[in-house]
Amino acid sequence: MDLITVTRKCGVAFDIRVRGHEVTSDLSAKDGGRDEGPSPVELLGGSLGACVAMMVQGYCERHGYTDGDVGVSLTLELADGPKRVGGIVVDVELPEGVPEDTKEVIRRMAERCPVHETLRDPPRVDIEVM
Amino acid sequence: MEQKEYGGKMIEIDEDGFIQDPDAWDEGVAKDLAKTEGVEEMTADHWKVVNYLREYYLEFNMAPMIRKLCKTTGFKLKEIYDLFPSGPAKGACKVAGLPKPTGCV
Repeated sequence: MDLITVTRKCGVAFDIRVRGHEVTSDLSAKDGGRDEGPSPVELLGGSLGACVAMMVQGYCERHGYTDGDVGVSLTLELADGPKRVGGIVVDVELPEGVPEDTKEVIRRMAERCPVHETLRDPPRVDIEVM
Repeated sequence: MEQKEYGGKMIEIDEDGFIQDPDAWDEGVAKDLAKTEGVEEMTADHWKVVNYLREYYLEFNMAPMIRKLCKTTGFKLKEIYDLFPSGPAKGACKVAGLPKPTGCV
């Protein structure tokens, strides 16, 4: 895995860089930021959505369901004590022509994407302050 | 606590605009709350969502999970956001006169 670096841009906005790509994460103006990009929690949701979409798109292409694209909509349910994501609701839209009886297979496959598996079985996070 | 005129009466709201007394809610209040959420006209689809949220809250004293809201009303998640641009928690629950959902900031 390549190194991911996070450096300050301005205010509470930070640039995330990996493999020459850059994404800015910030808070909304209401939460004290300048709204320069998605919040870290929104990026988490987007990460799951992208991972699910990639898995399902690959399945659809392998099985010839190419009349349209896969799309994912999701939202986060927040929880308090401590403040965190309490739930994630994910809708997956499929290309035309996917048989009804295949949808459960696709749902189970979406659950096996690496980001979902990571959320289901959380990794050890080892933080050291230097 | 701030007070605003909704539905022709003065209503107490919190800092995010959620009404404090669910019993003060009526359709006129809902229509004015909807305008604060960018919904100029409450259609039958808006009422379907709002009425379900309200019925669920009055029975269970809490807002339903979003998936349950989608399944019961028949709307996809994206359609709920089309109806209430700030979403089911910050938008639809506010219009339905529910207290601010847990963790909703």
